[in-house]
Amino acid sequence: MKFDDVLCPFCGCLCDDITVTAEGGRVTGVDNTCLLGTSKFLGDNRLKNPIMRTDDGWKDVTYDEAIASTLDALLEADRPLLYGWSGTHGEAQCIGVHMAELLGAVIDNTSSVCHGPSILAIQEVGHPGCTLGQVKNRADVIIYWGCNPTEAHPRHMSRYTTYADGYFLDNAFRDRTVIVVDVRRTETAELADVFVEIKPGGDYAVLSALRAMVRGRDEMIPDSIAGVSKEQLRHIVEICKNAKFCAVFFGVGLTMTRGKYKNVRNAIELVDELSRHTKATITPMRGHFNVYGSNEVNTWMSGYPYAIDFCRGIAFYNPGETTAVDILARKECDAALIVASDPAAHLPSKCIRHLANIPVVQIDPYPNMTTAFCNLQIPVAVSGIDAEGTAYRMDGVPIRLRKVLETEYPTDTMLLGRIYEAMMEVRGR
Amino acid sequence: MMRVLLEVKPRKKPLLPIEAECITPASFLEERDLTVWKGNRELMLSNVFNVSVTGEVDSVDGVEVVLRGETSRIKRVGEYMEGGRIIIEDDIGMHCGNFMSGGRIEVHGNAAAWLGREMRGGEIICHGDAGDYCASGYRGEKRGMRGGRVEVCGNAGDFAGEHLSGGSLIIHGDAGDFPGVEMRGGEIMIFGDCTRACGNMTGGRCHVFGTVHEMLPTFRNMGEVVHEDTGQVLTAFRGDVANRGKGNLFVGNYQYME
Ligand code: SF4
Repeated sequence: MKFDDVLCPFCGCLCDDITVTAEGGRVTGVDNTCLLGTSKFLGDNRLKNPIMRTDDGWKDVTYDEAIASTLDALLEADRPLLYGWSGTHGEAQCIGVHMAELLGAVIDNTSSVCHGPSILAIQEVGHPGCTLGQVKNRADVIIYWGCNPTEAHPRHMSRYTTYADGYFLDNAFRDRTVIVVDVRRTETAELADVFVEIKPGGDYAVLSALRAMVRGRDEMIPDSIAGVSKEQLRHIVEICKNAKFCAVFFGVGLTMTRGKYKNVRNAIELVDELSRHTKATITPMRGHFNVYGSNEVNTWMSGYPYAIDFCRGIAFYNPGETTAVDILARKECDAALIVASDPAAHLPSKCIRHLANIPVVQIDPYPNMTTAFCNLQIPVAVSGIDAEGTAYRMDGVPIRLRKVLETEYPTDTMLLGRIYEAMMEVRGR
Repeated sequence: MMRVLLEVKPRKKPLLPIEAECITPASFLEERDLTVWKGNRELMLSNVFNVSVTGEVDSVDGVEVVLRGETSRIKRVGEYMEGGRIIIEDDIGMHCGNFMSGGRIEVHGNAAAWLGREMRGGEIICHGDAGDYCASGYRGEKRGMRGGRVEVCGNAGDFAGEHLSGGSLIIHGDAGDFPGVEMRGGEIMIFGDCTRACGNMTGGRCHVFGTVHEMLPTFRNMGEVVHEDTGQVLTAFRGDVANRGKGNLFVGNYQYME
């Protein structure tokens, strides 16, 4: 059976033009996806049933047994951590927040190790953003700063920027100028009209210089900043000021290098400064397909986008203190529930070592690196393949994930819902 | 004079943080049950500390609270403190002296992050090192420390005095990255080195007697001046021009990232 206009549940582009062919309970073909999307749809090797670690190795258990064991681990803990959430749909994320409140837990999503700093910067100075549709149809100058869409968001350039047709651009490909700023010549840099090679850690200084130059203070700027010549900076300022619509995209090259949210704040303030001359916007290149959704769900339910500590029954938020990576590195939690992410593949080894020493329950369809040290793994349906729900694109647009396979697996919503109900019963709510 | 000694009892999970904003001199003036939080459990203060109180007093200024033992995970000590003294014999956890407006806190070990966050008055002396965000503001807050004095005898972490808008922050050792970032008032003195001082500052004064590495290019060089108290020749800068700032930054040495 063929399904058209399916969403790809892999990266923040959330491409919604995928054609999927499914037969015999498997996806047999996909069209329009990039390689990353294809491998997600055709991914095999799912866990068949819940597995529990014992002294003699892994043991198959039923879903009822797995739920009972999850309750034991989380209800006994003084400071449980609920982490992940970016690879599932919004409805499941909602249950996660309710669960964190009931347990007095800390709930955090993967943005604490990707675009959390972008949110901190936005909380300081706001977000001059727009939808990707606006960029596609109007932007004649595109800046990719500290990101490499060719490899991380492979269809970003063809759907929304460089190679996309634009309603208000006569010849979009020729009319658009693409500037790439990075510490090395990436594949995206090869496709740029202007490539700015910056020394690692030099982004803040270069952004400050650009802000001053846009304001006409270029006489005070030294001849070279972080490996970038003043001449090249002048050239960029001219391109941006003369643009009809300048769209800046940035990645973890800005958010996860020294200075973190200050880099992003500086980039936002550059965009503000440019907006005195032309239309300018800025958008984070979000990684997981629904990490933005996790921030949205958390915010509408608790007031905060990630790193929320419900230990005292009310929401407290302080990245650096209540973020999973900091809590784990300081060994401040005594149990963890991991949902729809693979911390062992992304977090520093110090954090993983602590996870290996406390009870960890993982909810994920596939065996992954976190499987190697969790105590219990419960497989679920894959959001966007055999489970439907809501996901948010990198520009904050909610789109409905479609279901292309029937399944025996419970969805994240069903499984988390059962765990939450059982918890309420134990707590007499 | 009233002396309160709080000695930490051995704990089963010593790394779990304890939130203890009830530990202020004023709390011990009246007899009432004080509680602290260990994760999601509320405990009596006496479950976590051996408490001994000697002497009697009418006013908060006569109360001295001493914390003894493994206190590096005890958070929010001295929050909203208005007077009296707190002496911490070893390290102290995050948010020590949050919003304090009077009195004195002395930390004999190191202090974790957010020491003196949004402090309004009073004095904090840390004999060891201070963590990140010393005398800064809370996330998204436009103003950090507004008054009072924080003195760090060792080094300070990153973002010391972020959003500083009043009072003075003195760091005898090195400061990390971005001391005085977004500062708008008040004064910072750093006797060691730091990187990227005062990014985006709009007001206030910052002295760095050592070297500012990766000096930001958007500060206007105003020439040399002699510092009154130390007699050291410093280069005066004004900025941050990127932010239309009118802050004053004086540095012993500086290096741009070229
Ligand atoms: S760009 Fe991202 S959303 Fe689009 S097909 Fe590739 S992986 Fe999927």
